[in-house]
Amino acid sequence: MTEPRNPGMSSVPQSNPSHTESSSQAVEMDPVEYTLRKRLPRKLPKRRNDVYVNMKTDFRAQLARCQKLLDGGGHREICVHGLGLAINRAINIALQLQASSQGALQLAANTSTVELIDDLEPEDPDEAGEPMTRTRNNSAIHIKVFYPDPQ
Amino acid sequence: QEGFKKVGRVEEDSPCPFPGLASGVLEMRVKEGSKIRNLMGFAMARMQGGIVAGLRQVIFTGSGRAVTKTITCAEIMKRKVGCLHQMTKLRYKVVKEVWESNQGAASEMTVHRTVPSISILLSKDPLDPQEPGYQPPEALSALWEDRAGTEPSAQTTYKRPLGQLPCS
Repeated sequence: MTEPRNPGMSSVPQSNPSHTESSSQAVEMDPVEYTLRKRLPRKLPKRRNDVYVNMKTDFRAQLARCQKLLDGGGHREICVHGLGLAINRAINIALQLQASSQGALQLAANTSTVELIDDLEPEDPDEAGEPMTRTRNNSAIHIKVFYPDPQ
Repeated sequence: QEGFKKVGRVEEDSPCPFPGLASGVLEMRVKEGSKIRNLMGFAMARMQGGIVAGLRQVIFTGSGRAVTKTITCAEIMKRKVGCLHQMTKLRYKVVKEVWESNQGAASEMTVHRTVPSISILLSKDPLDPQEPGYQPPEALSALWEDRAGTEPSAQTTYKRPLGQLPCS
C-alpha cells in the first residue's frame, strides 16, 4: 500500500533567515535575524511494547518491527505512538496490523497534546538579539493494538 | 501521474462508527484545507450554547491529510470545554478520485485510494469506558486558561496551576 506524500508541513523549517513574529495585534518583523532550532520532545518512557513511529525510518521496517513484537515477542498488546506528521503513519501501521491479523486484533486510540519548544538564536553574534524560546503545541496519537481477552 | 489533472473526488460514505448514538449530533467534517479557526468558531458556539441549551455531543471526522487537523480540533475543544469524554475510532476510507488528461485526449481515469480515517466523539455525557478507544476527561481542565480564543500555537509559555477540578 503506498502512502500519499505530504509535501507541505505547517511547521517552520529548520533554519529561517528572517523570522516573522506574529501576535494578535499586529505583524512585526524581527529586527534581528534568528536561526530556528527545534528542541527534541521530552524523553518519554518506553516499555518493551512501546513503538514510536517517525517519518525517517522506512514504513515497512516499522511495520515489520511491530509485527515481530506481537508475534514473536509474546506481548498481548503493543502501543504505537505518533507525533505530528507521523500520526498518519501510526494509524496506517495500526490498521495494517489489524488487517493482517484477520480481525483478531483490536485497536484503541487515545489522543493528546504535546508541547514543543523551539530555541531561537540570533544569527549574527554582534546583533543585540538574545536567545528566545518559543512554545508550540502538536497533536499526538497513542494506539493500543491488542488481542482482546477471551470472554 | 503526468499530464493528468484531478477533476473530481468523491468519498464513499461509510456507516457511523459510533453505535447507539443519539440523533442530532453535530458532525464536523474536517478537510485538508479547512481553517481551524472557522471550524472551532462554529463548533464552540454550539457546544457552549447560546439561546438553546447547547449541544451535548460533537463528532470530528477526517481522512487522509486532514487526520492531524481533526485531532488538533478535538484537542482544542477538550481544552476549552473541560470535562469532555472522548471516543476515538480508526478505520480505512475508500476515496474515488477522477483524473482527466489535460492533453486534450479526453481520457479519464478513476483512482481508488484507501486512506486512513479518524472519527472523534466528544461528549459531555459519560460514555462506555469498556469500549476500546475511550478516553476519560482530564482532571486538570481548561478552566484556568485564557478563553478568549487563544491560538493553539500560543507563543507565551503558561503554567497550569495544580489542582483538581471536579468533573460532574
